[in-house]
Amino acid sequence: MAICLIPILALIATFSLLPIGWAAWLSFHRYNQLAPTAPWIGLRNYEFAFQTDPFFRNALENTVKYAVVAVPLNIVFSLPIALGLNHIGRFRAVFRTAFFMPVVASAVAVSLLWNTIYAPQVGWLNAFLEQIGLEGQPWLSDPDLALWSVLVAAVWQDLGYNILVFLAGLQGIPDDFYDAAKVDGAGSWQRFRGITLPLLQRTTALVLVLTMISYLQEFTHIQVMTAGGPIHSSETMVLYIYMKAFEDLQMGYASAMSMVLMGIILLITLAQLRLLRARWEY
Amino acid sequence: MAATVSTPVGSLSRQRRLRRIGTGILYVLFALVAFTFTLPFFLMLSNAFKSAAEIVRIPPTLFPQNPSWSSFRTVLTEAPYERWFLNSLLVSGTITLIVLFTCSLAGYIFAKFEFPGRSVIFVFLLVTMMVPFPVLLIPTYLIVNELGLINSLWALIVPAMVSAFGIFLMRQFVAGIPNDLIDAARLDGASEWAIYIRIIVPLVRAPMAALGIFTFLAAWNDYLWPLIVINDLEKSTLPLALTFFNSQHAQRYDLVMAAAAMAVIPVIIVFVIFQRQIVNALVLAGLK
Repeated sequence: MAICLIPILALIATFSLLPIGWAAWLSFHRYNQLAPTAPWIGLRNYEFAFQTDPFFRNALENTVKYAVVAVPLNIVFSLPIALGLNHIGRFRAVFRTAFFMPVVASAVAVSLLWNTIYAPQVGWLNAFLEQIGLEGQPWLSDPDLALWSVLVAAVWQDLGYNILVFLAGLQGIPDDFYDAAKVDGAGSWQRFRGITLPLLQRTTALVLVLTMISYLQEFTHIQVMTAGGPIHSSETMVLYIYMKAFEDLQMGYASAMSMVLMGIILLITLAQLRLLRARWEY
Repeated sequence: MAATVSTPVGSLSRQRRLRRIGTGILYVLFALVAFTFTLPFFLMLSNAFKSAAEIVRIPPTLFPQNPSWSSFRTVLTEAPYERWFLNSLLVSGTITLIVLFTCSLAGYIFAKFEFPGRSVIFVFLLVTMMVPFPVLLIPTYLIVNELGLINSLWALIVPAMVSAFGIFLMRQFVAGIPNDLIDAARLDGASEWAIYIRIIVPLVRAPMAALGIFTFLAAWNDYLWPLIVINDLEKSTLPLALTFFNSQHAQRYDLVMAAAAMAVIPVIIVFVIFQRQIVNALVLAGLK
């Protein structure tokens, strides 16, 4: 029976292990699919990224800005909604469905939908703003706004997922704890601070790490809504890697940037886990 | 005496009334938040049902004045929409069936069979799970290119036939099945495949359903990978085709929203029907 594992492991080796090694190899070469040779150039791809290429720095900054704003924004909305849902008895399934629908929708469809909402003249957002006496904005064509406009659409789409994870965490807290606290005369705020928050910390850590990892890899919403523009103002790392590799065919350089992205994701994940663990332990 | 007894009773009923008001406010608040939250979907449908003339009106109308199916009809007749839909269904369905088979089998083998290097291989598997997809993107493209699969639906299926996460998930659940059960079947003369099909698979049906739903949704909505390996409109899956369609009909929001709605609505209907399983599946997938 164990023999059957061989073809499965061969698939894993071909499409998971081999690519990791190949990505590392590519990152030390000047690789262009159309060129006859791929010379070894050591760390030059990495040097070029950090010392010369202004667009790499730009993409890196955009990615970090995006993740650093999107993660707290997501949690500021998803946690209170999950707490409320946990409190609600009737209609919970209805509300849950409402919040969860965007998660199962395709990110492309959602991006196109938000394009129509943000549209400068025929879009509803500006129409609404003008109705209440405010000025409409060029949401996706202003370099100061584009990244944040996309971010709102992405957080809207992702929110339901974290609501569910928080809800699962809340429902995992045994009722006995609350009953015991009530007998001891703890008020609802005290119960929230003394039981809910500390017992939800594991879930919160998980949500933080997973959400951060996914926002650091933002691609679809950006690519469909702004294509990185205007003037590179919403270009994220994965979008820039994609463009370098598949439009400019600089696959060695793009691989080097993807290795940097992996390093950043790894570092941030480890840092978050360490910080959160330190907090659990008192 | 009477006063001291009646006071706590009075305050208790007041407390209960306050709580009931609080719950009422919570419901109203939730209805408002949920309404605002689902508004974009309403706007999507509203646009899809508008006419070509109404869609360019400034300011935009909230409700279509003469709702009609014409934009849906245009999308279905002017674009190979059915082809795209079938491509998506075919690719996602095939990936899901294959992943369910490979992951449950590998999970079973890792959980219940001894072989040299088992733990080392398993650790390797866990490591591959941690690598973000953008790193794999370029080499996987080159491999698929070597295999001559670019611009065919196989390019979408073949790299997705196994999932390290799926194997890990199935192994955890198969490990919980008592060995006695397997040994008893073996003593009764059941073949190894019969044990896998008749004993193991039925006992891990719940996590398999979860893995299946998760895999199907991910494949159905995938965009980055098809964008790289498919360049023929006839071979597009829905998300990719939607962007093509959008670039061809840039200002026709009525058509674009009709096309988007037809990609989203089937998934939402399936979600509403299998809500509980899907919710469990996605939470389970996140809790890896």
